[in-house]
This record gives sequence, structure tokens and C-alpha cells, in this order.
Amino acid sequence: MPTPRPPAAEALGARLPPLVVAADRVAATVRAGVHGRRRPGQGDAFWQFRPFGEGDAVARIDWRQSARGDRLYVRETESESAQTIGLWRATGPGMGWRGAASRPTKRDRAELLLLALASLLLRGGERVRLLGAGRTLAGRGALERLAEDLGGTEGALDDPSLPRHARIVLFGDFWAPLPEWQAMLSGFAARGLRGTLVQVLDPAEESLPYAGRIRFEGLAGEAPELLPRVEGVRPAYAARVTAHRAGLADLARMSGCTLLTHHTDQPPEAALLALWLALSEAAR
Amino acid sequence: MLALGPLAFAAPWVLAALVVLPVLVWLLRVTPPAPRAQAFPALRLLRGLVATETTPARTPWWLLLLRIAAAAFIIIGLARPVWGPGAGAGGPGPLLLVVDDGWAAAPDWAERMAVGQAALDAASRQGRRVALFPTAPSEAAEPPHPGPLLPAEEARARLAALRPKPWAPDRATAAAALAAWRGAAGLADGALSSLWLSDGLADDGGFEALTATLRRAGPLTLARAEDHPTRLLLPPEAEPERLVLHIAQTPDPVDGEAVVLARTAEGRTLARAAVPMAAGAARGAVALDLPIELRNQVTRLDLENTAGAGAVVLLDERFRRRPVGLIAGDEAGGEAALLGDVFWLDRALSPFVELRRGSIETLLSRPLALLILADRPLTPGREQQAVTDWVGKGGTLLRFAGPRLAESADPLLPVPLRAGERALGAALSWEQPQHLAPFPEGSPFAGLPVPDEVVVERQVLAEPVPGLAERTWARLTDGTPLVTAETRGRGRIVLVHVTANAAWSNLPLSGLYVDMLRRVIGLSAGVAGAAGGVPLPPLETLDGFGRLGLPGGAAAPVSGETIAAAPPGPRSPPGWYGAAGEGAERRALNLSAGVPAPVLAALPPGIPLRHIGGVPAEADLGPWLIASALLLLVFDMLLSLRLRGLLVLKAASLALLLLAPVAAHTEPPDPVVLAQATRLAYVVTGDAQVDEVSRQGLVGLSDFVNRRTAASLAEPVGLTPGRDDMSFFPLVYWPVLPAALALEPAANDAVNTFFRNGGIILFDTRDEGSGEGTYPGARAALRRLTLDLTVPPLAPIADDHVLRRAFYLLPEMPGRYTGGQVWAARDQDRANDSVSPVIIGGHDWAAAWAVDGRGQNPYATIPGGARQRILAYRFGTNLVMYALTGNYKGDQVHVPAILERLGN
Repeated sequence: MPTPRPPAAEALGARLPPLVVAADRVAATVRAGVHGRRRPGQGDAFWQFRPFGEGDAVARIDWRQSARGDRLYVRETESESAQTIGLWRATGPGMGWRGAASRPTKRDRAELLLLALASLLLRGGERVRLLGAGRTLAGRGALERLAEDLGGTEGALDDPSLPRHARIVLFGDFWAPLPEWQAMLSGFAARGLRGTLVQVLDPAEESLPYAGRIRFEGLAGEAPELLPRVEGVRPAYAARVTAHRAGLADLARMSGCTLLTHHTDQPPEAALLALWLALSEAAR
Repeated sequence: MLALGPLAFAAPWVLAALVVLPVLVWLLRVTPPAPRAQAFPALRLLRGLVATETTPARTPWWLLLLRIAAAAFIIIGLARPVWGPGAGAGGPGPLLLVVDDGWAAAPDWAERMAVGQAALDAASRQGRRVALFPTAPSEAAEPPHPGPLLPAEEARARLAALRPKPWAPDRATAAAALAAWRGAAGLADGALSSLWLSDGLADDGGFEALTATLRRAGPLTLARAEDHPTRLLLPPEAEPERLVLHIAQTPDPVDGEAVVLARTAEGRTLARAAVPMAAGAARGAVALDLPIELRNQVTRLDLENTAGAGAVVLLDERFRRRPVGLIAGDEAGGEAALLGDVFWLDRALSPFVELRRGSIETLLSRPLALLILADRPLTPGREQQAVTDWVGKGGTLLRFAGPRLAESADPLLPVPLRAGERALGAALSWEQPQHLAPFPEGSPFAGLPVPDEVVVERQVLAEPVPGLAERTWARLTDGTPLVTAETRGRGRIVLVHVTANAAWSNLPLSGLYVDMLRRVIGLSAGVAGAAGGVPLPPLETLDGFGRLGLPGGAAAPVSGETIAAAPPGPRSPPGWYGAAGEGAERRALNLSAGVPAPVLAALPPGIPLRHIGGVPAEADLGPWLIASALLLLVFDMLLSLRLRGLLVLKAASLALLLLAPVAAHTEPPDPVVLAQATRLAYVVTGDAQVDEVSRQGLVGLSDFVNRRTAASLAEPVGLTPGRDDMSFFPLVYWPVLPAALALEPAANDAVNTFFRNGGIILFDTRDEGSGEGTYPGARAALRRLTLDLTVPPLAPIADDHVLRRAFYLLPEMPGRYTGGQVWAARDQDRANDSVSPVIIGGHDWAAAWAVDGRGQNPYATIPGGARQRILAYRFGTNLVMYALTGNYKGDQVHVPAILERLGN
């Protein structure tokens, strides 16, 4: 587990209550409730009475039901198996960028969506885990602890302790070259991990709303790029963005994932709903 | 020196640098502006993108223009451009700068100096030497003479040191001095050129003489102001009840107006009169109606907005003091209340003249304007001789008839009298008491309203002699004379055919009596005083701009006989003459009494003319151009920063930043702010001047209260009842304008609520007591205003009212005026703890309290005195205390009773 950076954790911890509240509010608009597996097993809800058989523990006999007749009955509950969902959001310097002061940074929006989704999942009885955080969370208070994990860790994408066949939801801008993602996603697919990629983008990254002579500077210390006439390269840039996304979608499909795109100038509820549908479709 | 029309360059070779501007354009065009920096996450996708259109980046045209303009401004600015350079005086040789520095040059002295300095600048550029030649005698009484030939830079300081003189130029002497100077300096005819800054007045041929001499010396350029006439304020004529102001001027092609201000010794303006000056007229006159109390305070008249000794007339005792001698026929009982011979005279005259009593010898031993004899026959011999002499020298004798005069008539009467008196309406008479007929035209009383109630029951009768009608100033309805007068020598004898008390008629009981007396006093000559050849030393003299100051070294005493018409000069500058010290008599020497009326000189043909005033003569544009170039460069830097994305301050926020303080000023007073401190308020009437007086008054009162009491009042505010919340103010001052309308229902409700909650309003009609009649109609307006207000029954403020002892003990409650009645709610009224919600009076308190920006009281108190102002402030303090503490101080009224009880 990477050492949490105390100042950043503190800063995020200070923002925690509204973020959780906002996530709760967003989640409530989608769905609430516990979903069962429609078969007997470990769970709280009553499923059926069945006659006492060999090998059943005496403690499982339902005495009230058995007193109605001459036979002994065992009470069975519905099996409620919880799924572990691995969550991750990108933390690179590019994620802390925003194209206009009126919009949130991509990282803020990604974390908001992550927490909102986690809130939905936890209320659904699922177990959530921040990749790289080293603990799987469930039940009451899990959301706060997840937020602590968000503040405390950068979140490594490679998490060997994630159970096989778990589901993953990844938030990020995915601007890294496609071969890197191909390696990563095929590794996930090999471990039976499937899930959803949410590309969180600032609209300026897509439309390139600049004009004139501009020197573009990278956020991760790359060499700057001087463009003499930005409005002239806009179509070429748009084509590159489309190609990149198409490539990413292909990669995702090959490894059994879906790709969603969210822009920070759109309301987070829409993205959350899309995410929910994508996850529940995959579960069916 | 390069000249392009009105534009000239002092260093034209710098303009050669303009050649490099195209190079600069090319350089700027090929050097693109620095790129804007922009952080971008998806930088990888931008790598190596090539634009479809490949237009090269270049400097925007407007930026190019801006920089070229800045560069051009700097180059042109360094070439020292001069707009409208003074062409100096055309012609060869040194420049003789002739300056008229007499009184007529003072009003536009700054413009004259500007023209002179421009000529010096031009001479400096041409390297000519300059001689300065003022045409008026100097303060040290030196006759005018040209100065030495100097470089123009040195002459500039001398010209700047020149000041107008409060006397006329002496051009004849100047012409002679010029000829002598040319001979000494060896300048042949035509060897020098001259520029004459002339006041344009003919000066009895002096103008032509000097013009001829100057033309002989060389080319002459004449500069004179033609856009405004030269005005001279003449000494006014004193008439009864008014001063007639005269102004002489050089004819003006359009109708104009000269405004005369009447000021007191302290410099306060008491009255303002506009004198219409018709087009082409050389004189204008207007009557200044001024009550005698105010007129006595006027010591100088000023032409508004005109500097100079010619715009000032000092008024000495001749215009003011009117001592009146009063002698009763019955020396013992003359003063008896209601019945005495002079009781009513005393009551009528004492407010506005200096009354003197005593024997005839005592009275006539000092200057006297008017001698009143009330039924006092003059003994033949010494008394008659003394009075006759005095009248012959200009005294006015006013006599009242009576039983004693009817018995023994003396020659000092305007008309011979019949022995005995005529009784009308008595028991044995058929005739009815007679009323007054309207005053005949030409009588000094003409125009006074004749009240019906005046009846004459008894009078002395004039013998019907030829010329009686002309000598009659007033008649009864049956035609018999009531007032007759006759001129004797330089003086006058006036006889009123009834007694001075109410024994023979009820004339002394009517207001007409006072008016008639005032007119007679107005007719009497002022006291000339200090007659004879006593030399009067100068006390204070006027300078060329009409300001009083210490007399110059050359000023000498002037004989008292000749002072009225002494010609002003360095030995006798206009100003005050007389003995120093309090109460000593001062005589005025006025410029306008000793100089001829201004007449424009005819211009000799063929002289180039230049105008004084109007457009500024010359402007050095260099510093302005360089400053604007710097501004452009700063602007360019901001633009560059903006283009590079370093300057992200939004224009809107910048504008907001600039506008924020302006917006803050226009906000109405915030109730929260008002509620934080106790403050006084006044009602905004809509008349800006009245509102300003109210504001100044309450500022002055608040200041006084803050200094003298424990109360602490904040800055007063104006309010409009019904619109503003009145509940924050303990006391509201409400000046009532004659034009005030009845209140709106909303305002009525607001004021009634204010009353109910314990607020106090001071209504001020500003027209009572000594200010009676200032604003006719104000009382009717007050009635209209308060029609729907719940004003309790009122009573005059009693001697033991709390208002008279809330802080100070006040015998009276004056404001700017005094003597009127002040009203408050009846004391018996127990509502609201006997605190009166209204105080009503007419003393114009705000004007007495008013303090202007310099901390002075701008409005004189009437009749005047520091005591009245102090009392006004004290009344204000009591009022504030009354408003703040209610009847708390009323308990002290019962102190005697309480002490008595304690003693037992």
C-alpha cells in the first residue's frame, strides 16, 4: 500500500462530507434496494421452508413452523451473494486540469462519479474496493472509508489481490497511447475481470476552442508544442480524438469491457445512470 | 524653426527620424507577437499537427498602428512642436514690450500676461533683446519709463513680476520718457519694433500721443481685448430707502449685465443687484433696495467676477451713519410712556438710527444728519442762529407741531403758520376728523400706502402763500397740508402739522409713521465728518486687483476736503484714509471718483492688431505628445500581455472596479447606518439653496452641541416625509417655503406617526421679527402644510417653559432674526409627557447656525452681533436637549417648591 500523502488526504478529507452527500443524492435518483439471487443460500430474506433432512443442523429447525404439524421444517433464506467491484480513477497531472473556471476538474468529476457509484453499489449490498488501496469495503460506513482511501492513495491500477471474476470500473481520460491500454486490459481479461471504462473529458479537450498562435504546454513536463494557427488544425485534431476513442472502444470490447464517455460540462447524474445501466446489463 | 500653418517646430531636424518609421513597420510586421501559452492535457494528440491553411502569424494591424503611432509621437514630440507660436512683433531690432498696467488692465491681467509671455517666447526663439515698458507710474511714484534692454529670458521674470496698478496709466509722460530713452540708447527711428498690450482707453489724448511716439520708433503691433467691455463702478447715489448704483463702461455691441455685490466689512455679501447694460450704452444704473439697518453695514460694493480697483467702491460714513438728534418740547415729560412728546419717535427710530439727546448746542457740536424738534419752539437769538447755520450747511430739520409751536411760531418753518390750531370733530366743531389723502407725486412719501384708520383731529394750519402746493409733501383729504417742507441753503426744513405723539392724531400709532420717518432720514445728507483740511493718513489701500492691503511706501496723507475727488495715484492710492483705531472716522478714496469714465480710443489705421484672450496664445505640444506616446506604450504592453494570455483580468471586472466607488455614492442612506447614531434631520424642500442652508445649519448646530454637551450627534441628513423613514431622528428641521404645497396623504401619515412616537419638528417660516416680510406667504404655506397634521393647541413659549432652561437659561430665542414669537404646544397638554411635538417660529435658525466648508458663518445675523449668534446656538442646544430628554429638565421648574418643602 502506497504511503498516503497527509496534506492531500487532509485536503480531500476536508471536502469529504459534501462529496459523500453529493454522491448519495446522485445515487438516490437512480435506484435503491437489495437484489437477491433467486435461490436458497446465505442471506437475510425468507426463501422457503423445506422438510428437515439428513445432515441438517438441528439449530436450523424452525420450531414455530414445525409445531403446526408433525414434521420438522427447516427455514431457508435466499442466497444473497455480493459481488466485489474494483474501482479506480486516474490521478495523473492531466486529470487536475479544466478548460474553464466554471467547470470542475476532471479528477473532481471522476471522484464524484466514483463515490456516487460506490454509494449505489454499497446500498445494493455489493462490496467495493479501490484498486491499490488494499482493502475491500462493505456495509455501513464503507463510503466514508472509501473516501479516506481516495484521499490516502494514488490508486495503482494493478491490484493482484482483487478476486477473480470481480467487476472493474475505471475512470480516467485514457489519453495514454493505445498500446499501454491494450497491455493493461488484456491483463485484466486474463484474470477474468470485466467492467466499464468511463472516459471523463473536459469539453475543451475535444473541441480545441483556441485560436491564433498558441504554445501548448504539457502538464506532465513534456516539451511544449507551438501551433502557429490553432483554428487551422482543429479538424485534424478532431479526427485524432475520434480515432483514439475508436481504438480504445475496440480494446475495451476485446477484453469484455464497455467504454462510456462523460464530459465535465454535463450533469453527473446522466453519467451515473449510463454507468448503472451498463453495469446492470452486464450482470444479467 | 519650421512653421506649418499654426504649427511650428523648434527643433525640426529631429523630424528626420520619421524616415525610419517604414523600417520600423517592416520590422514589426516580420516579428510576430509572442505566442499565448496554454496548458493542455491531450498534448500528445497535438504533436506534429499541420494546419490546413498556412497563413503566417503576423502582428495584428491595429497593434502595428499603435506602435507606429507611439514612435511617431515620440519623434514629433522631441522636435518641440509649438501650436500657434506668438509671432513676436513683426519688424527688426529689439522688442519694446509696452504694457498698460493701469486699473483697466486688471480684469484680464492673466490673458495679457499670456500674450506678453508668448511675445517673449517668440523673441527668445529669434534671439531678440527685450525692453519692458509699463505705462502707469510705479508704486514708488516713479513716472513710467522703459526698462533696460535684456535677453528675453530675463525679461520674462520681470514681466511676471508686473502687477496692475490701482490708478490710470500716464501715457503722456510715458511718450516723453520713451523719446528720452531712445536718445540715450542710440536707437534711430525704425530701429526697434514694439508690441503694446493696451487697455484700449482713450485717456484724454494720451493714447494718440503714445501711439505716435511708438510708430516713430518702429513698427508697432497693438494687442487689446475686444471681447468684453471695460467697466467702472461709480460711487452710488444715496436715496432714501435705496442706493442707486451706476456703472460706466466702454460700449458693448450686445446687451449685458453687470452684477454688483454689497458687502460688509467682514466680506459677507448682503445684497446682489444686477445692472442691465444695454447694447451700445456707456452707462447703466439700477436701484439697490436695502433696508437702512442692512445698508448701514455695507462698506464696499464689488462688481462680481471682475477684478481690479475700478470694480470696487468703498462706502464711508457719508453713505451710512445718520445720527439723529431728538429734542422734546416738554423736557421733563417728553419721555413719558405713551404720552410723552418723543416716546413714539423713540420707538420708531431707535431700531435703525443712532439717536442722540441733549441741548441744541450739544447736539449741533457734533455731526448730525437730522434734528427732530417735537413741539419745541426755538428761542430767537443763539438757538435760531445755530440751527439756521446748520441747516444752511446741509442739515435736515424735522419739526412736529404741537400746542407750544402753535402759540409761538418761529422763522425756522417751511411755511408761515396761522396762530392757534384747528380742531376737527371736537364738541364745538362741525367738521369731521380728516383722513389722509394719497401722497402727491413728487413727494418723498409718494408710493407709501395710506391706511384708512389714520385720522387727524387737530393740526396747525399753514397760511395760504404762493408755492404752498410745491412745499406740501402730504395732505389731508380736504386739501390742508399735513407735511410741508422747504429747502434752505443745502439743507431742508420739514414740518409735520400734528404732534409727534398721539394727542392730535393717531398717525404715530400707524406703521405709516415709521415709513415716513425713514424716508425723511433717507433724504437727509449723510454726515460728512472731519471737514476741513485735516490730512488723513492712509489706513488700507486697494491693490490693482481690488484687494485691500497695507498702504505702499509712497502713499501720503490726503486732505479731508479734497478726498472726495482726489485723483488716484501712487501718492494717493484708492482705499481707506483716516485715523487708526476703533470708532475713528474713516474716509474712502475711490478710484472711480477720480478717473474719467472709460472711453475706447479710436484705432489709428495701419496698425496690426492682436487679440487678448480667446484662444491660448501658444501651446508647447512636445510634453503632451511624449506623454501620450508613453500612454500608448503602456497600452501596448497591456495588449501584449493580453495576447500572451498573461493578463486575464476581465474588462467587465475592471469596469466594475472603477465604477464601484461611484455606485457607492449614489446609494440612498442606509437605514442600518442611520440607526447607528443619533443625528438631526431636515426636510428637503426642493429648493437647493434652502436645503444647503438647512444642511449647513444642522452641521453647525451638531458641532456646537457635540462640543458643549454630552450629546454626540452624527452628520445630519435630509429626508422627504412619506418616502424616508423618520423614526431615526429626534428632531427634524422644516423650513417652510412660501410655495410649499399641502402634504400628500402618505407624508401626512408619516409625520403624524412621527409626532405620536415622540418626534419633534421645528417649523421655520423665516420671516418673523427683524426678518419680517422676507418671505411673504410663508405663514399661509405653513397653514396649508399643517392642515391635516395632529398639531396640539399652541401657545407662545412661556418664560418658565422647559425649552428656555433645558440646557442654557434663555431670555429669548433668536435665529438669524430676532423679536418674533415662538410657539409650542400648551404646557397643560399632558399628552406625550407635555413634550411639544412642534415648535413653530420664523427666526431662520438654520441660517444662524450655518457653518460653511471653511468653518465660518456665511449668513449675517440681523440686527447682528456675536451675542445673537451665540444665543441662536444656545437655543438650538436647548432644542436638541428638549428633543433628547423631554420634560426631564422641567423638574427644575419646581426646584423652589422642593427646596421649600425640604427646608420644612
